[in-house]
Amino acid sequence: MKTIPKLIRRFVGILLLSFLLLLFLNFLLLSICVKGQASNLSPWQTAQEVAQALQQDHTGYHLPQDLAQELQLHQVWAILIDNTTLQVIWHTDPLPEGVPLSYSIADIASLTQGYVHDYPTFPGRAGDNLVVLGYPQDSFWKHMWPSWDYDFIAHLPRNLLLVLALNLILVCLIYVTANSRLLRSIKPIVCGIQALSTKEAVYIRETGLLSELSLAINRASEILQSQERQLRKRDTARANWIAGVSHDIRTPLSMVMGYAAQLRDDAQLPSQVCQKAAVIVSQSQRMGNLIQDLNLASRLEYNMQPIHPQPENLVAIARQVVVDFMNLDPEGRHPIVWETEETLAFCPVHVDRNLISRAVSNLIQNCIRHNEKGCTIHVQVTSKDQDCLVEVADDGTGATEEQIMRLNSAPHYMSCQENTTLQQHGLGLLIVKQVIAAHGGSTQIGRSVYGGMSVRLTLPRR
Amino acid sequence: MDTAYLKEKRLLLVDDEQELLDMLLSILKAEGFRHIATARSVQEALPLADTFRPELAILDVMLPDGDGFSLMERLRQKGEYPILFLTARGEEEDKFQGFGLGADDYMVKPFLPRELTFRILAILRRCYKGESPLVKLAHCELDFHRAEVLRDGEQIPLTAKEHAILSALYRNAGRIVTMDSLCEAAWGENPFGYENSLMAHIRRIREKIEQNPSRPVSLLTVKGLGYKLVVSQE
Repeated sequence: MKTIPKLIRRFVGILLLSFLLLLFLNFLLLSICVKGQASNLSPWQTAQEVAQALQQDHTGYHLPQDLAQELQLHQVWAILIDNTTLQVIWHTDPLPEGVPLSYSIADIASLTQGYVHDYPTFPGRAGDNLVVLGYPQDSFWKHMWPSWDYDFIAHLPRNLLLVLALNLILVCLIYVTANSRLLRSIKPIVCGIQALSTKEAVYIRETGLLSELSLAINRASEILQSQERQLRKRDTARANWIAGVSHDIRTPLSMVMGYAAQLRDDAQLPSQVCQKAAVIVSQSQRMGNLIQDLNLASRLEYNMQPIHPQPENLVAIARQVVVDFMNLDPEGRHPIVWETEETLAFCPVHVDRNLISRAVSNLIQNCIRHNEKGCTIHVQVTSKDQDCLVEVADDGTGATEEQIMRLNSAPHYMSCQENTTLQQHGLGLLIVKQVIAAHGGSTQIGRSVYGGMSVRLTLPRR
Repeated sequence: MDTAYLKEKRLLLVDDEQELLDMLLSILKAEGFRHIATARSVQEALPLADTFRPELAILDVMLPDGDGFSLMERLRQKGEYPILFLTARGEEEDKFQGFGLGADDYMVKPFLPRELTFRILAILRRCYKGESPLVKLAHCELDFHRAEVLRDGEQIPLTAKEHAILSALYRNAGRIVTMDSLCEAAWGENPFGYENSLMAHIRRIREKIEQNPSRPVSLLTVKGLGYKLVVSQE
């Protein structure tokens, strides 16, 4: 579940970036504005210029033409107040009505700070006298008491940064709170999609911002589940069908086998008849094995065979299978040689005893079936590194390299979807492979040192 | 092998297929069993069990009016005797082995007559060992009831382990029994690492039953696999 934190990180990152960018842009815009204004009209400066430019001769004071025109253009009036008499000794024409021609010191202090008759006024020093410019009433707004706490000014940079940081935190908080609802509705959807990929059944509450998405995911899950159920149902039906057929064949086959065996062992019958009966017995045994294999193979293929692994001794399992065959073949047409080292009494594996017995017994059965005229079967259990091995080999007819290669790699008709002529037949070996694979082991088919076939089963040591 | 007393036992066969019952009858009669009753359903089997008082029941798992397992339970309420199941379903092996339903043995169809009679005799021998007469070996007789070997008029007692090992061999007389099964018979489940003890016990048994223990004729070794008890035929 790394998606949500990743998403949050990405969101906050974008937010911070846009915040910084915005701040930078604002400062830029402000400085452009301020700069544009200052270059155009700076009344304090103009007052100073006027004061310096004012010339005195025997007829009185004169302002140079260009400056006078500039003032006129902006409808600015100017007066010169004498230092000693506090009377207006010069002014531009026309002077608006109501502008006094005589001032007290208090008036001068007041006009320096603010206005004369609502005209914003700006003083300039002309020697010991004072030039005052009066701008149109709606041209300037004057801050009349500009005094600040000293600490405030002294800590201004720090305070500014603090305010900025506070703003940043506040914006982030607002953003996260606003988005958490969205994230809350995304989270179950993300979980749902992840669960879908593991074939789990998913249900997400269909409320909130993304209810439509939730609905779609719920539907997808339903579809997947129903497909899974259908598949499972079909597999179960197929396995049950095979189980049913094999069940129904077993009872009649018992009778065929039972009576044929009686005839075979009947000393009063001619030997030719007994031989024929023996063939019926061995063929019905083969059918019996086939039915049993078919059932188990289909159950293994469709994952319906429960596997109950227990700690077991592989030597004991193989020994029991070998002894069962020896007890069934008292005539010794297919003698079995137990090649396991006497020193190897114990080979610990974690397996389902029945299934592994079945696998080994299928291998011996295969040796017998493919060598009807008889052969010697060699069974050996060995322990190698982390594995326990069982090898069943014979000195019978064997197979060509090509056949062996095909047995090792070609798909079986039970587990193959395509119609290929290369499919394998015979269930014995398929079951061996399935059983060994289900136990995490491997099956290797090859040529035996005795001349026939050899199959080696490798199981992980416990 | 003296099995005559076992063949006097009363067998009850229950299967819904008449033909299969006929075949079983023919096999068992040929083997020398004389007291056999058959039933085709639970309804037939229950009253028959009261009158016939079987000493071994052979039941099919699937019956027209119930299943073999519940029939077994009802039969067991009437009397304690061994039960062998015949089943046509391979997957029931798990049931038999996993849950220990109390059946003495089971066989999956199809089966060879020889296998069936062997299993029946093995069960009977195990369950009615108290009645067993002396078992004749090449050079002595075994009295399982008293845990003794009778040799040259001498009575040699068997220890508990020797008795357990010999009993397991006798139940499978004429067949190879793996050393693992013998260890299990003597020492219980998961008998790992008892092989040497088993060999020591086998040696002592041979001293009791063989004329020449280094050249045994009754208790044979099958190298690497197990042992076989050879019983004299009547």
